[in-house]
Amino acid sequence: MSAKEQEFSKLIKDNQGLIIKVSRLYTNSLEDEQDLFQEIVLQLWRSYDSFKGQSKISTWMYRVALNTAITLFRKKTKSPQTDELMDFHHSGYMEDDDEKQQQVSLLYKVVKMLPQVERAIVMMYLDDLPYRDISENLGITEVNARVKMNRLKKTLKELMEKHA
Amino acid sequence: MPEFDLDSFKKTWQEQKVQPKYNSTEIEAMLNKSSRNYVKYILWISIAEFLIILGMNIYYSFLGDDSNSFIKILGKLGVQNSTDLRTSFGNLYLVLKTISLIITAFFVVRFYRNYRKINIESNLKKLILQIIRFKKTVNLFILANILLLIVFTGVLTVFTFTVLSQQNIHLTHPTLIGFVVGIIVMTILSIVLIWIYYRVVYGIILKRLGKNLGELQKIDSQQE
Repeated sequence: MSAKEQEFSKLIKDNQGLIIKVSRLYTNSLEDEQDLFQEIVLQLWRSYDSFKGQSKISTWMYRVALNTAITLFRKKTKSPQTDELMDFHHSGYMEDDDEKQQQVSLLYKVVKMLPQVERAIVMMYLDDLPYRDISENLGITEVNARVKMNRLKKTLKELMEKHA
Repeated sequence: MPEFDLDSFKKTWQEQKVQPKYNSTEIEAMLNKSSRNYVKYILWISIAEFLIILGMNIYYSFLGDDSNSFIKILGKLGVQNSTDLRTSFGNLYLVLKTISLIITAFFVVRFYRNYRKINIESNLKKLILQIIRFKKTVNLFILANILLLIVFTGVLTVFTFTVLSQQNIHLTHPTLIGFVVGIIVMTILSIVLIWIYYRVVYGIILKRLGKNLGELQKIDSQQE
């Protein structure tokens, strides 16, 4: 195992939360989620040399992860699997911590109902990326990213009211 | 239920407990696994297509004996075989094969260049366009081959009728109809089969990319 590989795997291990979130948001089964995680890691590895020192780690990881999920990834399973979240949501009384987890699950559920590009916008917005970064990652203008996000807030509100 | 406000969910989202799933050893193991993605899928299929067509071109250029087959067809139409006829056809056939090989070589270079241009670190819109451009090279190659097929058929048909005219051969009505209909049916059938093949092999991938590109373009055209 080379020093570069060790350095890279440590970097991924420490930042795997971001990749797990993207993998979860763009797949409907555990198998696909694991496959997407692996594909993102491979794409990050391939672009690791060109990344070094070029930009922030989070910016680079975000871009590669979303690009992989939206353009490259080949799913194995076709059918959507949303019941697990509904079951979780309707499982009765939950403690405070569970309530937060419940909110997160509900967010995943409604965001997954959006088209792939819109999902990326919402995820970056929720993770507090500035509009400049959102627009640069997608290749759209900053103004249009803002306009789209405002519309998406309304869409998500309707979806939440319908599915919560 | 209180009114939904996405901003109030931000903190919860950012603080969500994402359990680390993989340790360093598992991540290192992933680096040795092979990638399974759409671009690779297009690449391998396209390489197979290039090799098949290139192989056919090379075979017919250097090893094949199909010029004799054509002369035999002419013989069945009543054309007398002569050295002049064989030389004229040999020259014509060489020109057609050379054109075909030049076109194939041009596309192989272009295909490789466009593949190298695909950069996962580009922005999403650019990346989709890079993949579509890469795929378009294959489409153009196929289109060029269909056009070549039509041109070759046309040239060979003109050559046949010129020879028939030079040798004062008048085909009987059924033979002429059979000859022309045979050429047209074979050409159309080849084109339809090639078209169906490409719809099946690349249809799904391009549909998804096109949809995402359309979404981005829509966002950029919806400014308030």
